[in-house]
Amino acid sequence: MSEVHLTINGLQVTAQSGQTILEAARAAGIDIPTLCHHPMLSNHGACRMCLVEVKGMRTLQTACTCPVAEGMEVQTETDEINECRKFSLELLFSERNHYCMFCQVSGDCELQALAYRYGLDHWRYPRPYEKMAVDASDPYIIMEPNRCILCTRCIRACAEIVANHTLGLRERGSATMVMADLDVPLGQSSCVECGVCLQVCPTGALIDARSAYGGHAEEVTHTQTTCMQCSVGCQLDVISRSTRILRIHGVWNTEPGGGLLCVDGRFRPLYETRERIAQPLVRDHGKLVPAGWTEALAIVAKKLKSGRVLGLASGATSNEALVAFAGLMAQVGGKAGQTMPALPTLGFGQPAAVQDILATDYIIVAGANPLVYQKVVGYLIRRAADRGTPVALIDVPRGGLEASAVLSVSGQYAATVTEQAAQAQAPLIIYSVGLKPGVARALKPLAHARWLALAPGRNSLGARAAGLAPLEGHDLTSSRFDVLFFLLGEGSEEGGVMPRLDGAFKIVQTAYRSPLAEEADVVLPAPIWAERSGHVTNLEGKTLPLNPVVPMPDGVRDEAEVLDTLRTMM
Amino acid sequence: MRYYRSHVMVCTSPQCVDKGARTLMKRLQEELAAQGLADEVAVLETPHIGDCANGPEIMVYPDRVHYAGLTLEDLPSLVEEYFKKGRVVTRLLSQFRPPVDKELGPPKPKEVRVVLRNCGKIDPENIEDYIAEDGYQALAKVLTEMTPEQVIEEILASGLRGRGGAGFPTGRKWQFCRAAAGSPKYVVCNADEGDPGAFMNRRVLEGDPHSVIEGMIIAAYAIGASYGYIYCRAEYPIAVRTLREAIRQAREYGFLGQNILGTDFSFDLEVRMGAGAFVCGEETALMASIEGKRGHPRTRPPFPAVSGLWGKPTNINNVESYAVVPQIILKGSAWYASMGTATSKGTKTFALAGDVNNTGLIEVPFGITMREIIYDVGGGIKGGKGFKAVQTGGPMGGCLPAAYLDVPVDYESLTSAGSIMGSGGMVVMDEETCMVDIARFFMEFIQDESCGKCIPCRVGTRHLLEILERICAGLGKPDDIEELEHLSSLIRRSSLCGLGQGAPNPVVTTLRHFRSEYEAHIYDKRCPAKVCRALIRYEIDPAFCTGCTLCARNCPVNAISGERRQPHTINQELCTRCGICKQVCKFDAVTVS
Repeated sequence: MSEVHLTINGLQVTAQSGQTILEAARAAGIDIPTLCHHPMLSNHGACRMCLVEVKGMRTLQTACTCPVAEGMEVQTETDEINECRKFSLELLFSERNHYCMFCQVSGDCELQALAYRYGLDHWRYPRPYEKMAVDASDPYIIMEPNRCILCTRCIRACAEIVANHTLGLRERGSATMVMADLDVPLGQSSCVECGVCLQVCPTGALIDARSAYGGHAEEVTHTQTTCMQCSVGCQLDVISRSTRILRIHGVWNTEPGGGLLCVDGRFRPLYETRERIAQPLVRDHGKLVPAGWTEALAIVAKKLKSGRVLGLASGATSNEALVAFAGLMAQVGGKAGQTMPALPTLGFGQPAAVQDILATDYIIVAGANPLVYQKVVGYLIRRAADRGTPVALIDVPRGGLEASAVLSVSGQYAATVTEQAAQAQAPLIIYSVGLKPGVARALKPLAHARWLALAPGRNSLGARAAGLAPLEGHDLTSSRFDVLFFLLGEGSEEGGVMPRLDGAFKIVQTAYRSPLAEEADVVLPAPIWAERSGHVTNLEGKTLPLNPVVPMPDGVRDEAEVLDTLRTMM
Repeated sequence: MRYYRSHVMVCTSPQCVDKGARTLMKRLQEELAAQGLADEVAVLETPHIGDCANGPEIMVYPDRVHYAGLTLEDLPSLVEEYFKKGRVVTRLLSQFRPPVDKELGPPKPKEVRVVLRNCGKIDPENIEDYIAEDGYQALAKVLTEMTPEQVIEEILASGLRGRGGAGFPTGRKWQFCRAAAGSPKYVVCNADEGDPGAFMNRRVLEGDPHSVIEGMIIAAYAIGASYGYIYCRAEYPIAVRTLREAIRQAREYGFLGQNILGTDFSFDLEVRMGAGAFVCGEETALMASIEGKRGHPRTRPPFPAVSGLWGKPTNINNVESYAVVPQIILKGSAWYASMGTATSKGTKTFALAGDVNNTGLIEVPFGITMREIIYDVGGGIKGGKGFKAVQTGGPMGGCLPAAYLDVPVDYESLTSAGSIMGSGGMVVMDEETCMVDIARFFMEFIQDESCGKCIPCRVGTRHLLEILERICAGLGKPDDIEELEHLSSLIRRSSLCGLGQGAPNPVVTTLRHFRSEYEAHIYDKRCPAKVCRALIRYEIDPAFCTGCTLCARNCPVNAISGERRQPHTINQELCTRCGICKQVCKFDAVTVS
């Protein structure tokens, strides 16, 4: 990188070689309007908003694509440029239905803002073209082609960020339109509903089905917190209005995901259908009935003092709650652990961060299924594969990654992968609970490799750190325990160790009704992700903050607080 | 080596063998020996002459006398009369005539065939035919006697400019690509000839594919490329097949592949087929298509010479540019530069189309006037009608009126006249052509072929077309001309690629040179050339109509009525202005107004 000197609007600007005029101008505080440009995406040069005049060049140049050069003289706001910009806007407005007053993004629309900026108070060609059908086949994303300006941000995001390549263009010329796969409804396509396209759309062409018309940018609150749906720990920008959560965006350029989210983080938590538990419940004459906190805690405290206690934490809660839980269990002399399976260790190499997936020259995925359990990691692996990084799979179930892989073998042939990866400078081994000892041994020659262990469940590393070891393999079925305490958070009891000890007294601290909660003798309500404060530990071992977006409902108390109260009652 | 005064080729195709060619050959040799000619006349086999249907057949060289339908009984007298006495036996002559190359034909007056020199002359599927015409000698010269810099110098000195249309100096392009950092480098041949009616490149690819391949290898040597692509449109299946066969043969002969001609230079190439998009002739769209992406152009800079195929330095030239390179190397830059004008050197092929007598391919030196092309090479306007305009440069070119007939044809003068050189389409229009209709026609093509990436071209051309359609339909509005000019000016300035920037050209040039026609359409609701259907009426002149009923019987909408032997009339309500009545009338009774 060398320094390049140029003038923009007569101002001396120093830029780095390889930068575009747009980057140099923005760094120097000079505003150039853009529409198809998006900082997270490759440059497209189609909307003609960022046209600038470069002395000596035959035609106007798009600032977003034109590289800076020594001695370049750039003008960004001449009459001619503004005439061209206004012309392109005029054509965009004439192309389809851009009657703002009926559009859900009116007020937050980049196209509309530019129209104001360039004084587009009418347009010369008033007839919008033929209407196209709205595609509402997907539960989360509505495609409204009549408001599309063909900036292809969504297509580039789908290809470059998620590496899913679902969106593309059909036809050409004025018949061009965005389509999913080979022009099937989005809901029937290969779309993984990560929603990145929604987040980059500059107009009202891609609509969040849930939050449309829910509030303008100036009416909403943004809260950054950590996603708790798996162990990756993506950063969320939760957009809420009063106590209603509207939608969730990824936070660009933050670790670990870089701003990419998945359906589990962006949509599913807002479409929760389980019944919330809003106050303590106790079993009375065989039925669970509402009770006050004092009554419920007294029953729990009495049982904990008298019985042989087994405590099980699912990890779908904060580090603080897990520490308090471990403390309580220690205090009552009970056995405690977590329901998640044990994460094996590789025995060699150095740990890596999630973003290192994009900075390696060979990726081995062993005993893991990231596209299902840690989706963002899966997308990043596919993005790396798109860029040419070889990906080898060992004991990875069929489910999408094989299309990006150069090799997919079962554990007994792991040595083949070791052989192939031997030439790599910085191989990365991504593994999870399915890593077999034999595979780890076979990979051992790759001593210089780095590894990324995909922790199971949500906050299983937080539970480990609190001293709650996996109980997998322990004999829990013998009737040594007569009190069972489940710390479930908002998780379900599925996918982990969950002993059914008939006759034991069961305490369940959870946010939602579930079969296990129905069996319980006492149910203590817990907050959900959007109500929590505290921290979680992600699969990289980083402690990430949880910030409350909305208050807990009356009757719900933070788990750590409840558990600490119980400790004082012992 | 023994010398013979005459060689007899006996066709031994399966068909001729079936008819006894082998016995005939044996008996001919015996007869020649018997008459003492064995040392003077050699008898050889050949796989095919052409008249196998009337076999067996023989061809005698150097006289080029072709006999067919021979029987054993004919042989003694044939040897006696022809080989001994030198009298052609007309009774036995073959009636077969090799098919004439209708596309090309013999050179017309004022034509100079450089690029097309081998077309129609050699067998494109036989590399040896090309080698016999000095083929691959330039490659040998380049690889053994010249440094890459010297090759570039030679091309620069020849003044060769890109034949794809823009006219960028080819040598300069090679220089940039040679100087660019990055490896590997690629050479690409743009054979995506999409201009309607243009087929200059197809003819070269089908008729002389090795000249293009040799030119590409030389270019690759000059810039340091190791691999090449010929991007040929799928609508040219014969060209694709011919190229593939030529590449196969070139590999077999060691002109392609590892260590070409025993040197340490290695290069190979392949053919990639386009999928039918006009915009893929634009170099950045073409490269996207080769990469397997949607054929969308991208902005430049960076130019392909710096960042082309897969981000690597890439040299991309037109078929014609490559095809002429071997001859420049062999005959020297001075020879090439001796043809043409001060700034445009050499020759240019054109596909002459429209209302001229000799339509088809022509190759002329730069500097020739449009008048010479149309009246000398093209043989004048069909039917002795008057000249109205000539359209050069394909759909994004411009229409030039009679005032430009004496302007020398070169890059600069066409540009200053408002048109472009383009790849070589040339459409001549006679006085019965409506220029508004022509602009509408080309705009329809452009609108259909716009890729849709950038908004000025995608929507702007649509508005242009709508206005033109309206004017042609007699619904023109007073400010339509200003609107066309406004749109054209902005589309030209704000579009992304050459297609969009050139899209308004048909409108701009017709407005510039034929503005009165637009005004007649808009203000007088009149089409002076009597073309636009909405603005014309067909009528039957009772003075000439004999009541033959021919027009009434041919009218597809039954708009003509009248008694036999009585003058007919056209019901204007029903008439669709198809013009069939005028075509069929034998008495010129149908008039257009």
